[in-house]
Amino acid sequence: MDFEPKIVAFVCNWCTYAGADLAGTSRTKYATNVSIIRFPCTGRIDFMLLMKAFENGADGIIVSGCHPNDCHYTSGNFHARRRWIVFRSLLDFMGFDTDRITFSWVSAAEGTKWAGLVDETTEKIREKGPFTEFKKLDYSILEKIENDVVTE
Amino acid sequence: MTSLQNKVTELFENGTINLLIGFKEAIHKLPVPCFIDNVSQVEQLIFTPSCKGNLSVYLHKTEVKQAKKVGILANTATLRAIVQLVSENQLGDIEKTVITLNTNGELVVFATMDELEAYVQANFPELSEEDKKLLDQLNAMSRTERWQYWTEQFSACVKCYACRAVCPMCYCSSCTVEGNQPQWIKVSSETTGNLEWHTMRAMHLGGRCINCGECGRICPVGIPVHMLTVKMNQDIEAEFGAKTGFSVKNGYALNSFKPGDKEQFIK
Amino acid sequence: MEIKNIKSTNIPAFFDQMIKSGKVVIAPVLKKSGKVFFEAVQSYDQVSTDYIQTGFSAKSVVFPKVEELFSFKKDDEGIEITNNLHTIPETVVWGLRPCDASAFNYLTEFFLKENPDTYFTARKEKTTLIAISCAKADNACFCTSVELNPGSTSGSDILLTAMGESVYIELITEKGKAAVETAASLFTPGEEKSKEEFLAKVTSVFSMDEVKVRIKTAYDSAEWKHASMGCFGCGACAFACPTCTCFDIQDEGTQDSGKRLRCWDACGFGLFTKHTSGHNPRTNQTERRRQRLMHKFKYSVENLGIVSCVGCGRCIRNCPAHLNIFENILSVTK
Ligand code: SF4
Ligand code: SF4
Ligand code: SF4
Ligand code: SF4
Repeated sequence: MDFEPKIVAFVCNWCTYAGADLAGTSRTKYATNVSIIRFPCTGRIDFMLLMKAFENGADGIIVSGCHPNDCHYTSGNFHARRRWIVFRSLLDFMGFDTDRITFSWVSAAEGTKWAGLVDETTEKIREKGPFTEFKKLDYSILEKIENDVVTE
Repeated sequence: MTSLQNKVTELFENGTINLLIGFKEAIHKLPVPCFIDNVSQVEQLIFTPSCKGNLSVYLHKTEVKQAKKVGILANTATLRAIVQLVSENQLGDIEKTVITLNTNGELVVFATMDELEAYVQANFPELSEEDKKLLDQLNAMSRTERWQYWTEQFSACVKCYACRAVCPMCYCSSCTVEGNQPQWIKVSSETTGNLEWHTMRAMHLGGRCINCGECGRICPVGIPVHMLTVKMNQDIEAEFGAKTGFSVKNGYALNSFKPGDKEQFIK
Repeated sequence: MEIKNIKSTNIPAFFDQMIKSGKVVIAPVLKKSGKVFFEAVQSYDQVSTDYIQTGFSAKSVVFPKVEELFSFKKDDEGIEITNNLHTIPETVVWGLRPCDASAFNYLTEFFLKENPDTYFTARKEKTTLIAISCAKADNACFCTSVELNPGSTSGSDILLTAMGESVYIELITEKGKAAVETAASLFTPGEEKSKEEFLAKVTSVFSMDEVKVRIKTAYDSAEWKHASMGCFGCGACAFACPTCTCFDIQDEGTQDSGKRLRCWDACGFGLFTKHTSGHNPRTNQTERRRQRLMHKFKYSVENLGIVSCVGCGRCIRNCPAHLNIFENILSVTK
């Protein structure tokens, strides 16, 4: 069977979610691989949510919110941006494939940008294949527990 | 009596402190923390270069807070921790008397926080040679080699949480790892959950960690966990110009922002 | 007791023969961190011979850090529950120290006395302990204070003592005898002799008889505070300890499938005694550490008739604060 990437999108309520809505109401065609999770603000998108999405089987993630200076709460996206900068670098330092997370700004008027973003991300992840690197971890340790050879 | 013991006796006698957090020698010759609440115990006190522990972590203890007037023996890392803790408004409820040994081996007792801050800034520690070497090694690896390296390390983690327990910046009264509704971090030890635990620990400490290296030094399975925050602190200094444990007006880099913060990856 | 000898040059052959016979062999391995840990190995080349004590004990062979008690799956047909008791392999632990081996006596009492534990029994039955007596000790070792010594045979199936060119072998149990049968031709019959000169000298720091009496009234000693104020409340001592058996039952998974796990826990954790109401009967670290030490030297004697500290010194070597259990036992029983 062909690989269909599972993409989870973490988006803010005010810009990107509305942008996705616009893409929908404008009947723009785009990849169906994405599951959208709506947050009040990008400032609320905790890094642990991303980790959990990967743990539960996501192959790729989109994180998106209002453009700088457009945050509904004035500064949520500025805070988020700082955290993403260090988070992304930390993940890379741990050898995590940061290409699997796409960060973006999509406003309420950018339905077309949203559709393009999802298509692009889906294609990129499709090329990369399933995120076995992460899933394998759990499996390998389960195997180890079963054989009980881990003593460290 | 050593000059340290004399000084501490004086501080007890003139009422400056009623508890001193210091070191004494254990039966197996290593320095252990000791908590002195009267002059008769002062004789046990030692303070040598082998006293590497970061005693500032005890400043969060209820028993210590209750003592109100607290003296503490501080090495460079401890001083930095105190500066950072003050900047995070954590030490407001005790009167602290901080004692250190300067580079000439002389006793210094700080009269004010400003003095302490100035001393820290003048003697700001560099990353140790060992850590620099490991950092270079890790940076030189390919991404997949780093993944290999860290997942192997994390698979050995037993979640004893000693790295959290010794950290002066881990002072939350209830930690995310202990929450179970929802359960962010599994109780069982397995690589995915361990990786998440360490990501979380680093993310909660980046920009606050004062690079004392204790967490890595004491890990019973020898995981260099401190490297994660070493790396994060480097990024934060490069990107946002903030140094941890440097100024009592520091704030927390990830709790603030500049509209002009730069990045290359947000589409 | 049956005695045999083997040339030290034949040890690798014996070792590899056990692996060939299909057993999982767990032995001390030097890790990148510079510390030695037990690990499953494929050949004798991987085994470290230069260590005083392994970082963690061998208890995980019978009491793993995570034990899957069962897993379940739910679908339209119903609920299916499985466990993997049948997958537990024949295991040999090589190179544990006599103190660790004697810890298995306590573990056995603990897990089997009242409500025999199926998982422990299954693992214990399949485990053979090949101990090596200690030629070296450090200042954290205190086996002689808890009535053991660097050559005690208690708990082991086989005890090896290097004596120059040859290795002196004590076959303590039937399991031990069966293990040497896998490579019978490498061994020659031997006679019982004194191991004394080949053993490390460990000076006794206290008299167990005195401690047993005095600890009865130590609960209220003011010394606990001095002994334990520095304790951080981590699990480094308990997880490394060969006789710490606290555990926590955890369910992981979803409504449809998941597993029940038994994970290591530690009485030093603040959360250990915390009630759902928020009340915590052991309010501070002094009380928690007192619990750990009193359990080793008093409660386990009352409950099971065994002192449950074997003097391996791991809690001393691993403690981030360098707290020393025998120093503290001395001070609270003064
Ligand atoms: S101290 Fe080491 S083993 Fe313990 S939780 Fe931290 S990283 Fe894991
Ligand atoms: S180096 Fe480790 S122990 Fe020290 S402040 Fe940073 S995270 Fe905490
Ligand atoms: S209490 Fe300490 S010395 Fe005693 S058996 Fe446990 S780890 Fe070893
Ligand atoms: S005695 Fe040491 S190792 Fe044990 S809980 Fe306390 S600080 Fe951790």
